[in-house]
Amino acid sequence: MLGGAWLLGLEPAFEAAGHHARRALAQGLPARVLTPRETLDLEAVSAVMIPTDDTPGAREAGVVHFIDRALETFFAPYLPPVRGWLARLQDRVRDNHDGLDGFADLSEATQADVLREMEAEGGAFGLVRILVMLGMFSHPDHGGNRDQVGWRLLGYETAPAYQPPFGYYDAPGREGEP
Amino acid sequence: MSQEVRRYRTDEEVDFVIVGSGAAGGVLAKELSTAGFSVVVLEQGPYLRPYQFAHDELGDFFTGGLIGTLADHPHSWRQRPEDEAVPASLMPQLFYAKAVGGSSLHFAANYWRFRPVDFRERSLLGPISGSSLVDWPLTYEELEPYYTKVDWEVGVSGAPGPGDPARSRPYPTPPMHTKSAGMLMARGARALGWTSAPAPVAILSRPHNGRAACINCGYCWGHGCEVGAKSSTLASMIPVAEATGNCEIRDRSVVHRIEVDARDRVRRVVYLDPDGVEQGQRAKAVVLAANGAETPRLLFLSETSRHPDGLANSSGKVGKNLMFNTNVGTIGVFPEPLNEYKGIKASQVVMDFYDTDPARGFYGGGGIDARSSVGHLFFAMFEGLHPDEPSWGPEFKSRMARTYTRHASFAGHGTSLPRERNTISLDPELKDAWGRAAVRVTYEDHPDDIALMRFLQARALDLLEAAGAEEAWGPPVGTQTISAHFLGTCRMGDDPAESVVDRYHRSHDIPNLFICDGSSLVTSGRGQPTMTIQALAFRAGEHIAGFARRGEI
Repeated sequence: MLGGAWLLGLEPAFEAAGHHARRALAQGLPARVLTPRETLDLEAVSAVMIPTDDTPGAREAGVVHFIDRALETFFAPYLPPVRGWLARLQDRVRDNHDGLDGFADLSEATQADVLREMEAEGGAFGLVRILVMLGMFSHPDHGGNRDQVGWRLLGYETAPAYQPPFGYYDAPGREGEP
Repeated sequence: MSQEVRRYRTDEEVDFVIVGSGAAGGVLAKELSTAGFSVVVLEQGPYLRPYQFAHDELGDFFTGGLIGTLADHPHSWRQRPEDEAVPASLMPQLFYAKAVGGSSLHFAANYWRFRPVDFRERSLLGPISGSSLVDWPLTYEELEPYYTKVDWEVGVSGAPGPGDPARSRPYPTPPMHTKSAGMLMARGARALGWTSAPAPVAILSRPHNGRAACINCGYCWGHGCEVGAKSSTLASMIPVAEATGNCEIRDRSVVHRIEVDARDRVRRVVYLDPDGVEQGQRAKAVVLAANGAETPRLLFLSETSRHPDGLANSSGKVGKNLMFNTNVGTIGVFPEPLNEYKGIKASQVVMDFYDTDPARGFYGGGGIDARSSVGHLFFAMFEGLHPDEPSWGPEFKSRMARTYTRHASFAGHGTSLPRERNTISLDPELKDAWGRAAVRVTYEDHPDDIALMRFLQARALDLLEAAGAEEAWGPPVGTQTISAHFLGTCRMGDDPAESVVDRYHRSHDIPNLFICDGSSLVTSGRGQPTMTIQALAFRAGEHIAGFARRGEI
């Protein structure tokens, strides 16, 4: 399925990581490179960025498992900045909220406030956001977008081929519309 | 391929070694092998088969795929010559495919011919401050028969549009289906009193030359075509070249050096084979077609004591005058679904702003096409983000759900002015996975290019509004920091002091070294250069074959 990558020698890494992510989801196994605390906090971050409401969000998509396996394999160079960012996030929570150990322990409303502060500071926030988006919307073979919940959110109907009309405006008879 | 493919020994002197199998290299391989010459094509990437191409945006853009990884292919970037270049991270900034077929595998396949004006704007407009703009040594009329060869042999679908240059033959296949964004662009253009036309694309709307028609899978830009309907050289030219029995495509062959003898003639091309073992292929002549970034890099890597600034560089122009084409996007959101992710990338164009208009106050022009975002990932990460709205959280989530199927992207594509200060050079420290000095880019758009991008973006927004978009916006315009087009870095000209190759693509310095790819372009055209690169390659192939027959190489 990942033909191009296979020939460039990446397929074993993809496959191992993809299987790992699925297994982790199915069996509740711990993450491979993220610590349990990092996993909890990062999953909470992803759930604030793409919340679960009347449709599935980042949590149901398995975004944190995608990120864990991405940081183990093809995005390994980004483990240090993500780890550093999560440490700063935890420091901020511990400094400002007595008795709480990390971001995941905050109320949802407070989480959103803290995340906005972190966004304003820049740093690796942009990278974390991109990783969350990749986990939500990339091909499920990579370990996220479980059951295509990200694609369903977008309205992206996946099929190997399509027939016109593709949308409303290219249907026959619409040429003359103002 | 079921037939036996010809293999040559490295110590056997073949007629031609071609470095690169992309848009230009694939055409040259076909032209020279069908003319009866022995050809070895050295391609740094793997020989993939169409069934190996995947519908996978993450795989193709971030984790290797066709473009390779940054670990294997690092490069660095700076705006000005005095800046320190910063290595690319997360995603390549030089965006090109490393596989047989080159970037013709993953391009969007927009095949706009240049117009007569593109070849002689320096004469028409006079000198432009801060630019090394010159005329071509060729005219549109000289190149027209070769554009027609591209139409028919490579395979281009389309229909004549307003202002198109004269053509000697109609398109071989009719235009592709006009998608919703294309219909809306046509509607907007009518409302504004402008014109629009179906986009010419190197994608087959009907079976042609034994190849299948497009199935509208939507994975064109950045991806390989699994049915071979997109007219990559892998689908169109390489099979013809291999069928001659004269042409060997040697993949995963990473060229380090073009070797010249004491009489300044190329003897051998030195490369690392898939096992990392150094090999040298002997040849009577060499054609460099590695793209406008890799070709100057190889010339620099091939420096000798007699050629201290790199091969074929007595003019000092190798690597200079780099042009990307200006490029600017917009997003418009409409009341009903468009589902632009289905089908080809761009289906309609507006060319009313093609010519330079002195009244606008800047040099340059371009076209606007109706397309979709790069893909769902890019939409969620960047393209779909409204500048005044959050990029995460509940509002972001509902915005994605509402806009992804309802968006169109009207994108402007235009001229870049050549500037000597915009260059491809070797990074002094960074090395690739094969130990070769990495490419260093120095690029800052000319102020007129920035003005053109602002202008085209404003016109694209006019079109979206006139088409009935509920909302429309464009990202801020600035100097470009990523590109898939590398043009002008070994430019063609009659004067050996001012150019690298002559009008037949022979290097001025080394008589049996030819260079034909994006680096040959003298001006950038209006944003879609591949059609012209391939017309040049057909023309070069004809002339080089003639030289070889007459013993002139």
